[in-house]
Amino acid sequence: MFELLGLGIIDILQWKYLVPLCLGTLIGIIGGALPGVTLTMTIIVVLPFTFGLDPLQGLAAMVGVYVGGESGGLITACLLGIPGTPSAVATTFDGFPLARKGEPGRAVWLGIWASFFGGLIGGLFLVAATAPLARLALEFGPWEYFALFVLALSMVVGLVETSIVKGLLSGAIGLVITIIGTDPIMGVPRLDFGTDFLKNGFPFLPVLIGIFAFAQVMSEIEAMKPGGALERAITAAPKLVVSHVRVIGEILARPFLLLWSSIIGLIIGILPAIGGSAANMMAYDQAKKFSKHPEKFGTGTPEGIIASEASNNANVGGSLVTIMAFGIPGDAVTAVMLGAMTIHGIQSGPLFMQQQSKLAYGIFAAYLVALVVTVLILWVAARAMLRITAVPKSILIPVVLVLCVVGAYALNNTIGNVHILLLWGVIGYLMVKGGLPLAPLILGLILGDQIEINYIRAIQTDANPWLFLTRPISGVLLGLAAVSVAYALWQHHRQAQRAVESGTDF
Amino acid sequence: MTRDLVAGLVCLAISLVLLAATRGLPEASMLVPIGPGAYPRVVLAITAALSAMLVWSGWRAQRSSRARSAPREAAGQSSGGVRNYGLVLAAFAVFGSYTLLLPYLGFRIATLAFVAAMQALLEPPRSARAWLVLIVVALVTAFGAHAVFERGLSVLLPRGSWTAF
Repeated sequence: MFELLGLGIIDILQWKYLVPLCLGTLIGIIGGALPGVTLTMTIIVVLPFTFGLDPLQGLAAMVGVYVGGESGGLITACLLGIPGTPSAVATTFDGFPLARKGEPGRAVWLGIWASFFGGLIGGLFLVAATAPLARLALEFGPWEYFALFVLALSMVVGLVETSIVKGLLSGAIGLVITIIGTDPIMGVPRLDFGTDFLKNGFPFLPVLIGIFAFAQVMSEIEAMKPGGALERAITAAPKLVVSHVRVIGEILARPFLLLWSSIIGLIIGILPAIGGSAANMMAYDQAKKFSKHPEKFGTGTPEGIIASEASNNANVGGSLVTIMAFGIPGDAVTAVMLGAMTIHGIQSGPLFMQQQSKLAYGIFAAYLVALVVTVLILWVAARAMLRITAVPKSILIPVVLVLCVVGAYALNNTIGNVHILLLWGVIGYLMVKGGLPLAPLILGLILGDQIEINYIRAIQTDANPWLFLTRPISGVLLGLAAVSVAYALWQHHRQAQRAVESGTDF
Repeated sequence: MTRDLVAGLVCLAISLVLLAATRGLPEASMLVPIGPGAYPRVVLAITAALSAMLVWSGWRAQRSSRARSAPREAAGQSSGGVRNYGLVLAAFAVFGSYTLLLPYLGFRIATLAFVAAMQALLEPPRSARAWLVLIVVALVTAFGAHAVFERGLSVLLPRGSWTAF
């Protein structure tokens, strides 16, 4: 394992891989630092650039975006009080007060080094756990895969913050998208209404790009005022000089906090389709509960920054484990990576570690090297990131949309994909307006075909439908899916009751 | 109507139309015990049921909000912050025109026009410098992206059937 990892690191340190990795990390940091530009959006923008690269080059660039983006958000969170990404929301709570107390360098570097150490813990887990989990997944038959995918979908549905019905409906819409076009077993055209546009169904990436890009871009446009940038904030970027030995010492003097926050990030990363945005809030909450001085949280305590940043970077490791061992994306960012892998003819999932071990360890290596590259870039350019946030949205939005078009078109050089992008852009925006969460839809879209294929394969192998419940692993997974939905229902019911009791007016 | 009611009704209508469209699909064969229509029917039935539940909850919410709206209106409360939906609609129209004209004008000309139009829409230029920035950004995006993708990354971009450019 470590020999393969060492070879992977040697590979990644070659210029042909190091350059896309560094560029990806830089773009990730910039995307992370720009308030209103999410990590998903950043990786969508980078996607078309990876089409012309070899698989490891493309994936190294994407891993760089992912790692860099999780750290980029902390700059604006600490110095402007505006989180660059949802993953850095909790960093704002203590990072900004600490910066305002006259210690901006300490605030920023506590975040950067906590990101590094949290990411390192995530990386160790990624390297150690992916292969054993993939071996476990190899024991699965179609019943277990069907049950695993249903569990993944039910967990996402349960974790959405809006109503459970909307979460379920959104997941179901994702499944509906996959039944349009040719059926995956017999190749029979389905629900295409005789049109060429629908004959081949909806390719996953244009739908995903359309939904996520437009949902965000149009929401930004909705709230736009002339000169919609953060010009006011960057009249004088503060100096960030600090003693790194002291800052690292501050973090390592709190090993339990660092480890527990990273574990929370990992677990959230492993759970399908939720990401750093949940991880940093949960880790912050836990850090406050375990702290001897919870009253200091929100006033500029280092614990708050460490918890938030360690968790959101460890989350990346967890997400990569799920995609590489099971082929299930941990969040929207890894969903795009999954799409990129498919474009390069790579099937993620349990066989990936065996059949593409060089590539797999290359990804591990890219992840670990990206952590170092992130620190180096921020060392040189943290102050410059503040100036980048001054780019007006009127410039940023059209450029992003052009890159979305290129990403959709270049998949197979058809203009039809661009029209699919537009169609799902409109639908994605309307879904946001209708209060439907997008994460379950994306997971339904990704898993839909696999759910159908494994369901039919199971029935083909043995017509007894009870096998889904009586086979031990499949039965346990489906039981967990039922518990997950039941728990979510109970939790929503309890929240509603509390709201009624406290007299909240909806 | 509440947004839940609207969303539920739209999803219900679509799922019922698709459910009806599965009727003509072939049934099970010797090799495949479940026909290509079976799984879609299950998925669409679930979608229709969930949509109906959303319609029901939306309808209930509408009834209860009507009961509370009178005193609110009397108190002069407004609903929500200011949202520029006109701008969103215009942005969709500009983007839609871009995607429709792309195969006719080609990537460079269509993108140049789109980036310029979108910038002008989002932040109308009011000075010579603003116009200059608008033109430079449009030129760099259109020709820069073309150069990077076609020459640097061997990713082909659309040529215009009217312009051959």
